[in-house]
Amino acid sequence: MSKQPLDDKQLSTLFQEQAIPAPSKRKRRQAMDKALHAFDEETEKKFQGSLHTNRPTSKPAHIFQRIGDWIMNHVMNWKWQTLIAGAVTASLALTLVYKTPDAPQRIQHEEMVPQAQAPTMDDAVDYDISPEGGGSTPLPSPSPELEAPMSSGQPSPVHAMAGGETRQDVPARREHAIREKRHFAEKKARRMMMAGAAAPQGYHASMPTLAMAPSSIGGPHMGHLMAPPAPPPSSAKVMPHPMPSVDAVVISEAQEERDQFQSVKSSPVHRVAEQPVSTFSVDVDSASYSFVRRMINQGRLPQPDAVRVEEMINYFDYDYALPQDANTPFQPTVAIYPTPWNPDTKLMHIGIKGYRAESVTKPRSNLVFLLDVSGSMHAEDKLPLLKKSLGMLVNTLEPEDTVAIVVYAGAAGTVLEPTSIRQKHKIMAALNTLRAGGSTAGGQGIELAYSLAQSNFDQAAVNRVILATDGDFNVGVSNISALKGLIARKRESGVFLSVLGFGRGNYNDHLMQQLAQNGNGIAAYIDSLNEARKVLVQEASANLFPIAKDVKIQVEFNPKRVSEYRLIGYETRHLAREDFNNDKVDAGDIGAGHTVTALYEIVPVGSPAQHSDPLRYGKKPSVERGEINKGGEFAYLKLRYKLPGGTSSRLISQPITDDHQLATIDNSSTDQRFAAAVAAFGQSLKGGKYLNKFGYNEMIKLALEAKGQDRFGYRAELINLMRLAQTLAP
Amino acid sequence: MRIKEPLVKRAQLGDRDAFAALLEQNYDRIYRFAYRWCGHAQDAEEITQEVCIKLGRVMGSFRGESAFSSWLYRITLNVAKDYMRRSRHTRERTDHEEVLEYQPDQRAGPERALISRLILLCIEQLPEGIRETVLLVHAEGLNHRQAGETLACAEGTISWRLSEARKALTICLDKGAS
Repeated sequence: MSKQPLDDKQLSTLFQEQAIPAPSKRKRRQAMDKALHAFDEETEKKFQGSLHTNRPTSKPAHIFQRIGDWIMNHVMNWKWQTLIAGAVTASLALTLVYKTPDAPQRIQHEEMVPQAQAPTMDDAVDYDISPEGGGSTPLPSPSPELEAPMSSGQPSPVHAMAGGETRQDVPARREHAIREKRHFAEKKARRMMMAGAAAPQGYHASMPTLAMAPSSIGGPHMGHLMAPPAPPPSSAKVMPHPMPSVDAVVISEAQEERDQFQSVKSSPVHRVAEQPVSTFSVDVDSASYSFVRRMINQGRLPQPDAVRVEEMINYFDYDYALPQDANTPFQPTVAIYPTPWNPDTKLMHIGIKGYRAESVTKPRSNLVFLLDVSGSMHAEDKLPLLKKSLGMLVNTLEPEDTVAIVVYAGAAGTVLEPTSIRQKHKIMAALNTLRAGGSTAGGQGIELAYSLAQSNFDQAAVNRVILATDGDFNVGVSNISALKGLIARKRESGVFLSVLGFGRGNYNDHLMQQLAQNGNGIAAYIDSLNEARKVLVQEASANLFPIAKDVKIQVEFNPKRVSEYRLIGYETRHLAREDFNNDKVDAGDIGAGHTVTALYEIVPVGSPAQHSDPLRYGKKPSVERGEINKGGEFAYLKLRYKLPGGTSSRLISQPITDDHQLATIDNSSTDQRFAAAVAAFGQSLKGGKYLNKFGYNEMIKLALEAKGQDRFGYRAELINLMRLAQTLAP
Repeated sequence: MRIKEPLVKRAQLGDRDAFAALLEQNYDRIYRFAYRWCGHAQDAEEITQEVCIKLGRVMGSFRGESAFSSWLYRITLNVAKDYMRRSRHTRERTDHEEVLEYQPDQRAGPERALISRLILLCIEQLPEGIRETVLLVHAEGLNHRQAGETLACAEGTISWRLSEARKALTICLDKGAS
């Protein structure tokens, strides 16, 4: 076989020579019969259609379905959801009663097979969330339990009792279950709304059967519910009642969403002819991923601004090649492979893995925990989780390391002077005494923390303040730029800052990011003990011991090979082209064993995927000008970094050529494919502008096949998140 | 309406016999395409059946905006993609082995037979978009304009995709042969 590329003719011949097994005669006959049957049905429909122009169209249903969707999406409160769902169903049914000329025909059908309407036990399982049956999810079909109080305004005694009894023994389980089932219930509700609409008068006829559903779930005493026959619902009575309360519920929902995120536009597509150079700072934070995970696990899609794609990608560990010797802290691993979501573009994958700390002697740590103990920290996933997390961190430290604790609330105070790990019991005891209460005064706290770190400062050690908080940092240093200035000055003096975020509802992501970026530290969002273990134990050396600081990446694209490019993520890390060589400009840090991944989606010259038309009056890419032998390069990659103690930067550079190109995505490593899947997921959560038709099914498949060894199950967790997000997606 | 083929025109207007004849004419073509898409005879039969049923449903809505064959390929492609997506949950990629099972035409010599067998495995690894372009042009013999019409993209896109495919397939076949 020759190494020369196949030509078109050869390829066509290859296909023509293929033997294809003949289809079975039986299957062929069957397919034809079924097709003709479908054809006949269509012909018949057309004929009928001209007789009954007033068939129940999808229009009214569509409008009500959209109202229904709106309510489902915006009203989390279970009670109202139930009532409104009932009301909408009822009014929808009524609307269609009056609009359906061929209703009687269908009703006969319903009467003949009443079971068809009644929820079966399988249906009941879906609604078995609270003992009331339909109480916690929108009960899709009108039942007397719902109609009675609303339309008559007088709940029957039996009713009130049943309700009161059950409401007490529905703990948090209900909330969880609602989230779990909400999607399915919604789907089902829609389906049954439609079914109900198709048999509007049969609605009365099948009432008793419907009422049996709750009794079969709720236990014997619920059987009474069958007794009160539902008065025929009237839309005039039903609709006005629940509607005004919608506003109230929506407001409380809005209050829950006070987490603040900076709004940043996704990196745009750049034309190489106009802007051949792309410069950015590395980012090894993972806060965005944890936040996204938390939201999705709670049954909601995160707001697009909360999603930073590069942080999602960098959450995962990739097995990039390590540098040969300790003199260079890392080396880039580059590959170009077809983009999974666009056949006409390529992904340029740049991966960096920091030198592992095991081989370097670990420096001593001088840590100061600055802990928020204000009243808002009083929640199971805040202070108690924080205490456990820091306890885990303390356990990984060496005897020579020291820990101090400063708390801030109404006033800031030192809980523990710098204490060596030899007296671990003292540190643990101090952690355990912490209680939440009071308002937040972070500014004082941070100054106190820095002064403790300074008092115990050791040039050879890692000196770091670790701030743990759930939200706004009510700074004494009243404005934020002054605070950032303070953190930057302390960084220059050798004390770094890392930020651990806790809880949801008040989380100020943007501020935390800025503080950590100025403090040469990471911003991590801790939503579970498992995450605390990952950030503080497994990656402790990476997160605490920088091996390189101010790491910047600059890529210059060759206009002869690449016509357009787009950096995926890193929106908040963009640097000006000239900042690359300016050592005064701060950038991100890489810890021991950290991996950093950057993906560019590039459009090769000649590809039809180009987003913008070439300029009519623009310069043609100059071919000459001493570019001999550079024509084959896609791009030139430059990395700049400083060693932890250093002040002047070093440079690593290499061309990216055809040698880095892989013919198909299957030739790429599992790590590279997995990163591409995460990138697709992140972009999809941000709106997926460039993803074409690449949907959840495709990204789940890509991620599944690239899962690799996955020793700690992080990748499996991501795949589950994709599946969950798929059910939540509109 | 610009439907050229008389049979298609009659079927579109509701002529049952014309539709039956149209099915008879196109069954093998649909099946062949489906087979090359999924590499498995039974799946290909299922896909073909779904395409036929769908055709029965939508025949009346064909407006002749593109050639009938382009329209049919488009339907086939959509059904095939949907089908593979659905069946992936139940049967994880047995299709590879199935492809290897079938006996290629031996007339052209054993080496050629091996390559034409390998190529089905290789095109399966191509990204979607490129994969269907290769099948339409090289296996079904459509020209670039027809393929562009079927896939709703420019002729330039078709040429680009084919050149990408040639590069990838050359590498894949090289690897497979050794």
